Amino acid sequence: MLILTRRPGESLYLGDTIKLKILSVQGKQIKIGLEVPEDMTVYREEVYLKIKEQNKQALETSQQDLLAAAALWEKKEPRK
Amino acid sequence: MGKERTKKIMTRLGEREVSSDGIVYFPRGLIGLEDKREFALLSVREGESPFFLLQCVTDPGLGLLVADPYSFLDKYDVKLENLDRKTLKIKNIKQLAILVTVTIPQNRPEETTLNLQGPIVINTEARIGVQVPQTDSGYPTHFSPIRG
Repeated sequence: MLILTRRPGESLYLGDTIKLKILSVQGKQIKIGLEVPEDMTVYREEVYLKIKEQNKQALETSQQDLLAAAALWEKKEPRK
Repeated sequence: MGKERTKKIMTRLGEREVSSDGIVYFPRGLIGLEDKREFALLSVREGESPFFLLQCVTDPGLGLLVADPYSFLDKYDVKLENLDRKTLKIKNIKQLAILVTVTIPQNRPEETTLNLQGPIVINTEARIGVQVPQTDSGYPTHFSPIRG
């Protein structure tokens, strides 16, 4: 891993399209400003990992449980 | 005009027939499944069910259980970034359908939960889909729907 030291107000570039600026440091929190190309997605790691895990779980449902759940909630909507 | 072509695909629920306009393209894939791009939305069973299978067209073993969140919640706001709007080619908000992934603990279907933090948004007209993490929403990843 490349390790760099930066002060608030200082920036670094990743390639020539991504700019990462340290805006402020307050205690344990660092505020970072990002300038990235429009078509690039930026996710917080913990959110990304959580959703990835949830997608995995949605994949692993057994067919039996899936049909059982569908049966449990089947008539909710039409009953109003 | 008889233009509607159907093809048979293998799914987690056995062989199903999907029409060519029933296939949704995910330009960025799904989170953790970035290389899977084509999915068909299949009903889990006949009739009125809020549950669907988002089945990968090219991989029969890969089908995610998803649900219509509005069958369970009156209010659920999904925030879309500019990039997502662009990817989805939204012209009209009415084009959009929202789905959430579902987790069912093994052998405990009554403990089914919905993941409200990573909704899947589909432009139903253009048939483009994107999964959009809701970073600051405060929505839970395990929402327990109440049986009606």
